[in-house]
Amino acid sequence: MSIRRLLAITRKEFRHITRDVRTSFLVTIAPAFLLVTLSYIFAMDVDRVEIAVRDLDGTPLSRAFIASLTADGDMTVVIYVRQGEEVEPLLTRGIADLVLVIPHGFADAVLGGGPAEVHCIVDGADAIAASQTIGFLESRVDAFVAGLRYWRSGATGAILDISDRAWYNETFKSLVSMVPGMMAVLLCMPALALALALTREVETGSFENLIATPVRGTEYLLGKLLAYEASGMVSVIMTWLVATLWFRVPFRGSFPAFLLLAADYMVASMGFSLLVANFVRNQQTAMFLILMVFFVPSFFIAGLILPIADNPVARAVAYGLPTTHFITICRSVFLKGLGPVALWEPALILLGTGIASQVLSLVLFKKKLV
Amino acid sequence: MLLRVWNLVLKEFIQFRRDWLMTTFILTLPVLQLVLLAQATGSRISNLRVAVLDLDHSSAGRHLVTMLDNRRELDVCYYPAALADIHRLLDQGEATLAVIIPSGFAADLADATRTPKVQLIADASNIVPASIALRAAREATRAFARETGFFGKKTVFPIELRTTVRFNPAFNHKFFTVPAQVGFIVYQVTLTLASIGLARERELGTLEQLMVMPLRRIELVIGKAVPALIIGALNFLLMMAVAIFGFGVPLRGSLSLLFGLTLLFIVVEIGYGIFISGIARTQQQAILFVFVLAMEDMAFSGYLVRVKNLPVALQTIAQIVPFHHYLTIIRGVMLKGAGLDALWSHTAAMLLMGLLVTTIAVRNLSRSLD
Repeated sequence: MSIRRLLAITRKEFRHITRDVRTSFLVTIAPAFLLVTLSYIFAMDVDRVEIAVRDLDGTPLSRAFIASLTADGDMTVVIYVRQGEEVEPLLTRGIADLVLVIPHGFADAVLGGGPAEVHCIVDGADAIAASQTIGFLESRVDAFVAGLRYWRSGATGAILDISDRAWYNETFKSLVSMVPGMMAVLLCMPALALALALTREVETGSFENLIATPVRGTEYLLGKLLAYEASGMVSVIMTWLVATLWFRVPFRGSFPAFLLLAADYMVASMGFSLLVANFVRNQQTAMFLILMVFFVPSFFIAGLILPIADNPVARAVAYGLPTTHFITICRSVFLKGLGPVALWEPALILLGTGIASQVLSLVLFKKKLV
Repeated sequence: MLLRVWNLVLKEFIQFRRDWLMTTFILTLPVLQLVLLAQATGSRISNLRVAVLDLDHSSAGRHLVTMLDNRRELDVCYYPAALADIHRLLDQGEATLAVIIPSGFAADLADATRTPKVQLIADASNIVPASIALRAAREATRAFARETGFFGKKTVFPIELRTTVRFNPAFNHKFFTVPAQVGFIVYQVTLTLASIGLARERELGTLEQLMVMPLRRIELVIGKAVPALIIGALNFLLMMAVAIFGFGVPLRGSLSLLFGLTLLFIVVEIGYGIFISGIARTQQQAILFVFVLAMEDMAFSGYLVRVKNLPVALQTIAQIVPFHHYLTIIRGVMLKGAGLDALWSHTAAMLLMGLLVTTIAVRNLSRSLD
């Protein structure tokens, strides 16, 4: 193996990347660019609930009840439903998230001490949002009851005082949690570019020319790897800058350690796409495969949004994906300030799978070149 | 003209047959992916791990712990001895939530003048499980308070919320994600096929050959669009079968309406694909453009985050994303049994965007071809 030939391939690959503004944008800045826009959208605090109210009681107390629900502005009454009007279309058309029916005799029951049954009908199509909405309503009802109790008897409000604290993300902002996770998912783009670069050479026939040169298979692959791992590290730094400067996500770990772990991830994800590229002959297939087996699952089963599922198949796939481990790493380094020592487990898994898949593809590749 | 278009379509299908690996992937991977994602994200979130630090050692405290453990979202599995252990458990991501029952808890419960306290600490580095765990713990604690209220000295809780969940009473998350996933896969497949089609011919140099044939631009575009339409529709039907028969997602509206609107959606996405084809010089670029567009569209679509919760500016952008309208349609038809009367505005918006983009794309394309 000759370092000179290897570097020649790397140089050629860099020229491919820098020659065209569009390609260089896509392999270096695109992840950072996507991070800016996507993160806003993944800020998924349910903080606006639109309710429809049917007040069958119509007393000052029922009006005070509605007013206290909507007092902080997060809940807004979009429509008052009149007597006998259908409730269903409000939910079907998505006009309201929730319909609240206050029964006759609400005030009497509440003041009489017995329970007044308030009926609430929720659009359950989105299960997570629906349960958040119900929680929203419950906490406001609790607050109303506490106020009522204080007003009537002077007793301090709550029956029980539940205080909660959010560690690592004290303001409980979803942005703080999503940006580091999202970074991990977006940083698989350099690996996609590598798979495309490999298959393009075969597809456009320039690979034949390379076979005729004295470059060996290993040198060829390692040369390409080096180029794309380097451009991938540029993406890492760009996204890190976006996360810390633009989103002001606290970065509690050490930067060199983070770079080291990110390089580790690059090795694993590049190995993954190298392996895929070995089996396909054209870019379309490579892209389709990477998208379907790497990227989309990274989004949904790697623990970015929902925790890793209990289902054994899904769990096995999640652990096989490099993204799962890097999401853990990113969040831990950013928010918990952990270093490589505490994160040895995901780091070693990445390193192990990365080296194994790269060696495997080098072995498989040599045979084809002859 | 029809004959010429037909011949072009025939050529495309011959290419599909020749590239059987790609064709197999296109037809089977989406279904596999749907199955995997439904398995992973489908069920309710359950068994988030909880650590309990009980400093009171009273029967009331133990009763509270049992009530926490009885929630299906929570699984009390750690009983650390000190606060430092809680630090370690949350740092390592072993537990999502820690509950601290302070000493004197039972005494406070028995004394009407004092308010017993409970502290919850969540690992908010991952916001979704953290908020689910917090909410479940708050609910369990409230239920505990009500129960002891009934038994002991405290008054009846004056307002009882009776909740009805429409469309998805079991809170089955699958019902929400599976239709969206079907939509997303149809989107991915058609956009990829349509955008790569022409870029590939250009890169391989066969576009020149097509240019010298007696084909008009529009015929070329239609010839490229038809196979993508057929494959997209086929994929849709396959996945609907899996969703309905495999996962038991209800189809409460009309299938023919949904199929018709899906075809419309596919045509619109093909318009976007052709637009990308016109900009990109190589397949690699086309693919990475698709990638960026797909991410943006997914973010604005309401797949994960309700459009209503976005900032107003982003809500406006979401209105011009066809995928957003399609998701509303597929969820509306499947889960809520909505008809065209409830969905006409989304249909019109999709149609409008499709016309606009296709016009620009075809014009742009003829310029870039010459």
